[in-house]
Amino acid sequence: MYRYDEFDAAFVKERTAQFSDQVARRLTGELNEDQFRPLRLMNGLYLQLHAYMLRIAVPYGTMSSKQLRMLARIARDYDRGYGHFTTRQNIQFNWPKLRDIPKILADLASVEMHAIQTSGNCIRNITTDQFAGATADEIIDPRPVAEILRQWSSLHPEFSYLPRKFKIAMTGSTNDRAAIRFHDIGLQAATNALGEIGWEVWVGGGLGRTPMIGKQISPFVPHEHLLAYLESILRVYNRYGRRDNKYKARIKILVHETGIDTIREQVEEEFAHVKGGVLTLPQQELDRITKYFAQPDYELVNETTVDVAKEKILNPPYGRWLERNLNAHRQPGYVSVTISLKPTGGAPGDATDKQMEVVADLAERYSFDELRVSHEQNLVLPHVRVTDLPAVYAKLVEHELAEGNAGQITDIICCPGLDFCALANARSIPLAQELSRKFASPERQAEIGDLKIKISGCINACGHHHVGHIGILGVEKKGTELYQITVGGDATENAAIGNILGHGFVVEDVPAAIERLVDLYISKRESADESFIAAYRRLGDAPFKEALYGNA
Amino acid sequence: MLDLATAPGVRAHKPDKLRELGIMSLNGMFDEMDGVAVLRQAVEELLVDDVAIVSSFGADSSVLLHMVSEVNKDLPVYFLETGKHFPETLDYVETLKRQLGLTNVIALHPDAKDIERFDPKGDLWETDPDSCCHIRKTEPLDATVSGFGGWVTGRKRFQTAERGVLPHFELTSDDRIKVNPLAYFSDADITTYKLKYGLPEHPLYNKGYKSIGCAPCTSVVAEGEDPRAGRWRGLNKKECGIHFDFNGAIAKPMAAQELNLFKDGAFIADPFRAWAEGDDAASVRYTHIPLPVFLEHREAVLANPHPVGLLVSPGDNVELVQGDLDRFSSIAINFPAFGDGRGYSSARLIAERYGYKGELRAVGDVLHDQISHMRRCGMNAFVVKHEPTRKALEEGKLATVDLFYQPVGLTEVPVGTRPFLRRALENA
Ligand code: HEM
Ligand code: SF4
Ligand code: SF4
Repeated sequence: MYRYDEFDAAFVKERTAQFSDQVARRLTGELNEDQFRPLRLMNGLYLQLHAYMLRIAVPYGTMSSKQLRMLARIARDYDRGYGHFTTRQNIQFNWPKLRDIPKILADLASVEMHAIQTSGNCIRNITTDQFAGATADEIIDPRPVAEILRQWSSLHPEFSYLPRKFKIAMTGSTNDRAAIRFHDIGLQAATNALGEIGWEVWVGGGLGRTPMIGKQISPFVPHEHLLAYLESILRVYNRYGRRDNKYKARIKILVHETGIDTIREQVEEEFAHVKGGVLTLPQQELDRITKYFAQPDYELVNETTVDVAKEKILNPPYGRWLERNLNAHRQPGYVSVTISLKPTGGAPGDATDKQMEVVADLAERYSFDELRVSHEQNLVLPHVRVTDLPAVYAKLVEHELAEGNAGQITDIICCPGLDFCALANARSIPLAQELSRKFASPERQAEIGDLKIKISGCINACGHHHVGHIGILGVEKKGTELYQITVGGDATENAAIGNILGHGFVVEDVPAAIERLVDLYISKRESADESFIAAYRRLGDAPFKEALYGNA
Repeated sequence: MLDLATAPGVRAHKPDKLRELGIMSLNGMFDEMDGVAVLRQAVEELLVDDVAIVSSFGADSSVLLHMVSEVNKDLPVYFLETGKHFPETLDYVETLKRQLGLTNVIALHPDAKDIERFDPKGDLWETDPDSCCHIRKTEPLDATVSGFGGWVTGRKRFQTAERGVLPHFELTSDDRIKVNPLAYFSDADITTYKLKYGLPEHPLYNKGYKSIGCAPCTSVVAEGEDPRAGRWRGLNKKECGIHFDFNGAIAKPMAAQELNLFKDGAFIADPFRAWAEGDDAASVRYTHIPLPVFLEHREAVLANPHPVGLLVSPGDNVELVQGDLDRFSSIAINFPAFGDGRGYSSARLIAERYGYKGELRAVGDVLHDQISHMRRCGMNAFVVKHEPTRKALEEGKLATVDLFYQPVGLTEVPVGTRPFLRRALENA
């Protein structure tokens, strides 16, 4: 894992001091809210419905146990005993007091964390595959480059007042678990004709009110020129992105309106100037950063397997957990474990201080002190010895963290919605809770298989509803909360945006509507191996529409 | 004109014949001596601890100031900060101070009350340059210099017809002594002296300004023209003030509270003004011409003999003027709202890609928390209206992060600020 050196530590300390000064000036009234807003947003501090909300960066979703313990402490001391893990691989606290913020930031700094650029019209926390560096299906561990991008983008003087926020996601695997096609820039590890590894660059993806799938702008950029290439994109965006309308200010609109070919030309022209200059990344530096992400000292064990079928008979919940929540590891004898934050009836992504501490202990004991946050709002122990699985599982059970539902219908992504968010049209958490109760039966979930439901409380799409196999969007019509249902979205390399099939539903009717979609799928699938999304692709909208609205 | 002999509080006196004789003999003794000797005599014998140097920091000032540095770097050097100087002149003050090691350069400002009363709009120079000079030069200088037995000027015989007989030492009507070490210097002597000691030129010298005073009253001198013909061109005015005559100069008066331009660590008066409806691109001076206007009237602006600036607003394409940037003595990057960050890209292109080295200022919504970003993008001057920001700058209390992760072109100074280069150095 990356460790701060003196420079990083001093940087965060200065930044904390700077923001503390800004908070002090706000508290004395020297700054008014208008002047304070952009400053607090640059430091992850939002004003929500009920209180301030502090968003803390978990760079590329990687954390140590010490860091998670600090988050637990903050949840306990300054908040109401829990934190909310988000689709941006960050954590949010919903109830901090403004006057406590400097103290919280100082505590965070002591464990090499901060809230810099978790909001505001700047380059946000870079997200990546939650299994990066561990998974068996990877071309390269993207985290060293992610760390370099984090450094490059931190308080970038030219790009701190972009037209709009800017999100970069990357994956080192061809199985995209980071939704890179739905980010302002998506980076996909690629190999060129000479066998060198570099990055395929996608630009202009996004969700929100105008969902767009990113377009390929370059098939291959080598490591050494990646910063220059990204700076070129950012400069084109900073100069030409729309600023007249905040709903049209994301780079996806620029790409859409200008055309990817013209944008590519502009970027290439800029790149011709910037390339080979100060941003050229020395191999030496890449090597140095890569060392921080060296593989841990695995115990050399033989390929170990667990007989899931047998476990399912002996201890069905454990068997299901083994079946759903493990991801194949590059190292024989190890696996990555997903810790579900989606218990039946729970608020997706929430974890209590106690639960965080338990996970921190497990990471320390069984996963080389390392853990991850996934964009699906779960936690991950990346390197667990197969033989340790029973012990890990037992501990998780004690703390209600052992739900074996990863990737299933109750592993719902859900934004905070009207319970917390000032922009929301509708509640989203209670709906997610209701659905998770409705489909709680493990047998039913197993029957359904892979199915991703994603819920947003408004068109901003923080809950990724556009890319849910089934997406649910809260809208408001004549004072009532309605929910629009979309079908067919996909956040992976087979990127697709879900289709709206008809009018919205009142909240009481949503679970039944979802059930009708599920039943239709089961009745029409070719075999149990054909997933919901595969069946949808084969069948098209019509039968699903009929399931939702009847023949009318 | 102020008549010192009758002004209240000033002692009336009759001319001192002995003094007059003494001065005559001094002039005889030093007739052929070089300037440094004249200066040394004045400083070490004639007026010990009782002499001030007055410099305009104009095109030729470096010679006298170099002599001062040879004799005594701690001598008081007064500079009339009329509020109307070219920014280049203000830069030049700093350059010379640094290069010559002068420790005691003092700026004299006009009395704010006078400005408010006589020149509230700053256009007195247009209608009544004599009065303008009076409040901006004569009065402040008089108030200061009256405390000294004499002062040193940089005047030269060759400068104007009337100066043809300028002696090394002069007695004023109130019995004080003006010392003119350069009285006998010719144009060629000046050039030779500058070369010999490697003295820096005034930044405007090579742009055709041979005698440089206040911006509004100075224009380019044609080849072969009397160098001072450029001063008060078209006006029947040759010198400024009654007693004090030096290559001083200035433009729009600014009351103290209007010192809005933060540059080189201090708030100073801003010689520039904004482009206004009806301005003529061919003849404006000290005006930031909007980029689109410049493009439309490019020929006229390039032929305009006065110092002008360029205003770059969000959406302007700096590519289109890359070849003309050196024409401008100041470029203003406009931030109509601080949240519009296009200016940062414009500034980097201007400073880094096109190599513009002059004043690059931020104007508009310039706030505390953006200034460090602006600096890193190459901006070196700030027009600040926001009071708390002003206060923070004045007190040197800008809360900033001075550690930089990413290399940003040429403004990146400390080596240790670039992570990869920092490492590369360590490992070297
Ligand atoms: C609670 C306060 C929140 C506010 C005020 C907020 C605001 C917004 C807004 C205005 C957008 C639309 C941006 C655009 O398209 O230009 C957006 C998008 C987004 N937000 Fe949030 N959000 C909040 C919470 C969250 C949470 C909790 C998450 C993670 C679970 C999140 C993740 C995202 C994501 C992934 C997008 C995606 C849309 C895109 O990138 O195009 N946000 N948010
Ligand atoms: S999707 Fe809307 S309701 Fe949900 S968190 Fe984002 S802004 Fe708030
Ligand atoms: S030079 Fe011009 S502007 Fe300056 S003080 Fe004299 S008359 Fe006024």
